[in-house]
Amino acid sequence: MIASRRARAAATLFLVIARAAGSAAAPPALPDATASDALAHALLKQLVEINTTDSPRGNVTTAAEAMAQQLRTAGFPAADIHVLGPSARKKNLVVRLRGSGAHPAVLLIGHLDVVEARREDWSTDPFELIERDGFFYGRGTLDMKGPDALMVAALVRLKREGFTPARDIILALTADEEGGAANGVAWLLEHHRELVDAQFVLSGDDYSVLTEHGRPLFFQLVASEKVYADYQLLVTNKGGHSSEPVPDNAIYRLTRGLDRLAAYEFPFELNAVTREYYRRLARIESGQRAADMRAILREPPDRQALARLSQDPVDHSITRTTCVATRLDAGHANNALPQRAQAVVNCRILPGHSPEEIRQRLVDVLADPAITVSYLASDGRLLAKAPEVRGFAPPPLLPEVLTPLDQLVAQTWPGLTVIPSMSAGASDATHTSAAGLPTYTFSPLTIDPDDDREHGRDERIGVASFYQANEFMYNYLKLLTAH
Amino acid sequence: MGRPYLRFIATALVGTLAVQASPAPDPDATPAPAADALAHDLYRELIEINTTDSVGNVTAASAALARRFRAAGFPPADVLVLGPNERKKNLVVRLHGTGKHKPVLLIGHLDVVEARREDWSTDPFKLVEKDGYFYGRGALDMKAGDAIMATTLLRMKQEGYRSSRDIVLALTADEEGGCCNGVEWLVRNHRELIDAEFVLNHDGLVGYSITSEHGVPQEFALSATEKMYADYQLTVTNRGGHSSLPRADNAIYQLAQGLLNIGHYAFPVELNDVTRGYFERMAATRSGQAAADMRAITRSPVDPSAVARLSREPELNSLLRTTCVATRLEGGHANNALPQRAQAVVNCRILPGHSKEEVRLELVRVLDDASITVRYVADDGTVTDRAPDQRAIAPSPLLPQVVKPLESTVAALWPGLPVVPFMNASATDGIYTRGAGLPTYGVAGIAVDADDMHAHGRDERVRVAAFYRGNEFFYRYLRAVTVQ
Repeated sequence: MIASRRARAAATLFLVIARAAGSAAAPPALPDATASDALAHALLKQLVEINTTDSPRGNVTTAAEAMAQQLRTAGFPAADIHVLGPSARKKNLVVRLRGSGAHPAVLLIGHLDVVEARREDWSTDPFELIERDGFFYGRGTLDMKGPDALMVAALVRLKREGFTPARDIILALTADEEGGAANGVAWLLEHHRELVDAQFVLSGDDYSVLTEHGRPLFFQLVASEKVYADYQLLVTNKGGHSSEPVPDNAIYRLTRGLDRLAAYEFPFELNAVTREYYRRLARIESGQRAADMRAILREPPDRQALARLSQDPVDHSITRTTCVATRLDAGHANNALPQRAQAVVNCRILPGHSPEEIRQRLVDVLADPAITVSYLASDGRLLAKAPEVRGFAPPPLLPEVLTPLDQLVAQTWPGLTVIPSMSAGASDATHTSAAGLPTYTFSPLTIDPDDDREHGRDERIGVASFYQANEFMYNYLKLLTAH
Repeated sequence: MGRPYLRFIATALVGTLAVQASPAPDPDATPAPAADALAHDLYRELIEINTTDSVGNVTAASAALARRFRAAGFPPADVLVLGPNERKKNLVVRLHGTGKHKPVLLIGHLDVVEARREDWSTDPFKLVEKDGYFYGRGALDMKAGDAIMATTLLRMKQEGYRSSRDIVLALTADEEGGCCNGVEWLVRNHRELIDAEFVLNHDGLVGYSITSEHGVPQEFALSATEKMYADYQLTVTNRGGHSSLPRADNAIYQLAQGLLNIGHYAFPVELNDVTRGYFERMAATRSGQAAADMRAITRSPVDPSAVARLSREPELNSLLRTTCVATRLEGGHANNALPQRAQAVVNCRILPGHSKEEVRLELVRVLDDASITVRYVADDGTVTDRAPDQRAIAPSPLLPQVVKPLESTVAALWPGLPVVPFMNASATDGIYTRGAGLPTYGVAGIAVDADDMHAHGRDERVRVAAFYRGNEFFYRYLRAVTVQ
């Protein structure tokens, strides 16, 4: 995933969950669980060792083909396996496990591409799966070749068992979630909607069981996302020689604007998901925090409770759109007055608001016509206006998704609560949501937020967690499609 | 190389002085076509030798001029080409006088800043005469002055002129930057060659001393002191984090607040002999509120409202006080990450009598935020926690043996043109000679329009008439300074 899951992960640091069980009580293993673990491991190894970065060395198609071959071997008919995409290096895999047709299909999505990794930055070869000290190391183990392998392994296991789901299960493994010109989910929705159409979508692009020093705190189900947007603030000036400073200075104008931005707070706003998030959290929190969570759910919300909660950056971000200056660049020589000063402001926009609406708000907040505010598209283009499209309102929390999840989470981690949450945005769920498909994101991987190495060096997942998640994924798909 | 303050003055004076300061030929001026031809010849030769720090060769220029001096009869012992390395040799020439007075040292730098052919309308390393201008890199800064000073010595030699003092000419390397500043090297290694009672630096403001308006001279600036240049680096570090979770502590916002403090701050007003003389003389050329304000600030106690009014003019503001201004910013490493570091460069021009460390401590006080570190950035880019304690050198005294001949020569060539003492905004090689205890004055008889300053830029140029006038001026002035 591009954007942070740290937003949500960090939330757990502030939680005290009395009922969270210390150890995982695994459900009884099914007969071929061992075989399935061996397969999941083989799939993970295969995926990690195929470089799928956007750089010329990477090739998503190779990974898609490798998974297609595994599925053919498992008995999926060729007609139900498609490897397709807009370019030779960026092909996606779409496979369908046919069901009874009692319900419309479910679409599982996962991206095959990974962010760059340099051998010299890592302790191990990032494109080799290394098992060491109870962890699997390798680029993509967490984001998200681990979840990809789990989804393929679950489908293979269901197929081999001759399981007939009550709805078709479609799996799409895709390109360019991390960047690049050929986002696979967007491309499939636009060009092959019939292959991926579904009642709802499950994205595996997350780790959902957040732990503190190994102790599970809660299970997050992402059901809403903020919209990611970058803006460029620019001030130009005729410049001049620095020996004669003039009052009108590009740097000072920009910094005055940034000073006003720093002081500005977007309005408080909750949606169906973040309301449920606080409702459920309030039950497992205690003291002032629990009281404050309840107080902001009231109409009208309690301002003091909100102010207290907002001191925590996580709660601050969940309850409003945020914009923050992340980069600065100005001037061209130490001894010249700056002809140009610019900043990047990164915003995370609540569902229901558009990037253009926020751009106009920034213009108002900066309160200086000399500061132009442009939208910085993900491909680096600068646009005078930002997109008008509003972030999607969260989908309803469908019982057919939530009930089996509640059940299996309780069985796997007794006492653990499923908490619906909102992510910081910019995952492939944006595309499926835009296509009108309710989308929920989770994967049953367990991680300590302190150990989140997504996009970083020495990315890893716990070996025990991986196998536990393998069992969970299989069981969940079975429960989800049992009736 | 310093940029002048004179734009404002030129604009202010255009009404009052236009009548008296027309460039009509002076009846006393004896045309010197041979000297002009020689100056032009040397000018061309120098411009066509690339003396940039990158691919140029200062030694080649020194050697070319040395040949001229030897050919003109200077004994080899009085024509020296010397320096710390093969590409950066300086020329030192001595025209012996009667020894009645101590020598005068003339300095000029031979090196030029870089110039790319594709940026220019003409080849920067060809002297091109077009539409009444000479074009070329160094046309103004300062191969015109080099050619004029060399011509003057050659002319005096040819005339068998009997000077009351030795005239030493040092044409040097790396004034514009580079490893081996020639004046500094000579002061340190061959003080005996360049020792003098005082120094005339033809660099003036930036190769000229006369600011003109549409070619009409407005005033002659006698550079007698200069501000000291200093860069400081402001840094705020932060643990950073993901931009989806902004926090109150943010390196960029913290730096922004500090910079706003600097933007609002004005260093105290402080006049020295040179700037006081400047305002006194300028007051005489002004009327109304401006004249009153200029007089008011030379009195004690200083009238704050007069200061406030004058300070609105950036040029005058810079004469009144040390200035510091943010010139560069850099912060953050990814659009979606909270910045771990935000940095600014603040450029200061420090009044004589103050040190870089003193100004650094003042910046720390003004920033009023202990988490913003303020470090000194040396010319070579080295960053240190403290700045040098050495104080900017006090102005050179306005010696009568320098000022009086200047006033009479200017009066003869440009009747009515005021001579004003001046403080340069930034460094010239004068810092090395003043540092060595030699009173130093920027004097160049070349006139440049305030809005036509192309030094260091593209299509650097000098009016053809201004070049020849400057040639004649320098010959006359040097005679006046060395008369028996």
